Amino acid sequence: MISIDGLTKRHGGRTVLSNVTFRAEPGRVTAFLGPNAAGKSSTLRILLGLDRPTAGTALVGGRPYRSFREPLRTVGSMLGGSGAHRSHTARGHLRWVARSNGIPDRRVSEVLERVGLADTGRTRIGRFSLGMQQRLGLATALLGEPAVLVLDEPANGLDPEGVRWMRGLVRDHAAAGGTVLLSSHLMSEVAEVADDLVVIAAGRVVAGGPLTRITAGYATLEDAFFALTGTGGVR
Amino acid sequence: MILPRVVSAEWRKTVTLPASWTGAAVALLGSLLITMLNAYAVHADPGGRAFVAPLEIAFTAMPLGTVGATVIGVSVFSSEYTNDRRITTSLAAVPGRVLTLAAKAIVVVLFIAVVAAVTMPLTIGAARLVIGETVSVPEAVARCLGATLFWILSGLIALAITVFTRSGVVPLVVLIVNSSLVSFSLLLSKISSLGFWLPDMAGRRLFGGVQATEGGLGTVPGALVMAAWTVLLLAAATAVFNRRDA
Repeated sequence: MISIDGLTKRHGGRTVLSNVTFRAEPGRVTAFLGPNAAGKSSTLRILLGLDRPTAGTALVGGRPYRSFREPLRTVGSMLGGSGAHRSHTARGHLRWVARSNGIPDRRVSEVLERVGLADTGRTRIGRFSLGMQQRLGLATALLGEPAVLVLDEPANGLDPEGVRWMRGLVRDHAAAGGTVLLSSHLMSEVAEVADDLVVIAAGRVVAGGPLTRITAGYATLEDAFFALTGTGGVR
Repeated sequence: MILPRVVSAEWRKTVTLPASWTGAAVALLGSLLITMLNAYAVHADPGGRAFVAPLEIAFTAMPLGTVGATVIGVSVFSSEYTNDRRITTSLAAVPGRVLTLAAKAIVVVLFIAVVAAVTMPLTIGAARLVIGETVSVPEAVARCLGATLFWILSGLIALAITVFTRSGVVPLVVLIVNSSLVSFSLLLSKISSLGFWLPDMAGRRLFGGVQATEGGLGTVPGALVMAAWTVLLLAAATAVFNRRDA
């Protein structure tokens, strides 16, 4: 389970996150929905121990991310793009990642197969399309067979078939008892895949709970979103 | 133990990075080329005033190895911060900042040691082959070890400085100019003895032999001063890396 409590982040005088609190439960897909620059990535970066919060905590299974010795075996993450050096091959990149967490090399072939990059061979990542980079990012996330997936805008750059594939993957992970937290600014995507919703705007959580409850009273998720975030709600 | 695993991952990253091999190539091919050019110049005029022993010829080319070591030290860190931001993957995999930086430092040491172990015997061998003089093995070994230490410390200093800048451009330009064209500390040493206490001037006697510039620290005190600079810069880099958002 992911628990975010009272998370606040200030850069100089600018408040990026303000008392952000929510949970992501096992067996469910939790979507973190908000416009660009609402604080989604900032929250996920703190959750993954990349950035430090000004106040508050972000825990996975009750522990801060930085306390894990082999974090990739518990949490798989993807923060936009491949997260790999452009001169590496997909396999070369995944092999050092695997080695850093004591993950057997056979997993590299397995995840490459899983995300559809098994045939990329010696092609360098710099030559990958956006969609392929996204798939590599996902392969990295899946490498350690983690129970928790944290995905920042996973559908970015994927073609329609890729989006559908990603949706299936995320649903399967939750169905198998895993925890999924994914961020998105695409409401159509979220409506298809999420069980729970956390809506964030201008660094504050404006709504949270099961998708059906949040959209109750609105014709569509889109209507609910604009009403809740108070952004660009042209009707 | 978690450190060997992380070192192994960092090693794999480094040996699959083209910039590392650029650094190795500059050290090896550059040193070899300069040595050959100088050795042939001596060979062409064996009785002349220009005669220099093979070891001196080989060690004249060693600053190129410092350039190579600098490229290696810089690129090990700057490669994390290219457009694709590999640093997020690296720190998600190994959240411990001290551990990550320690592993990188160990890889820099090992990689430069391997480059030195290949470059130096080849360079000395080439000089000896062309000039034909014999080389004292104990002296050669001592000077090779000293020069290897100088390269390693230079690589670690480059690594530490790149932690501050993240981008490799500024440290590469400054450090390469400093070790190949104009040494800022050499210039400073002309006007103030403080210049002798800066890392490259302090450590320069590690190369052994006749020095172009008189004065300054002896071999061992100089090496200690250079090592102290390295430790200090790495400690500061660790503190910055530990506090900073990725």
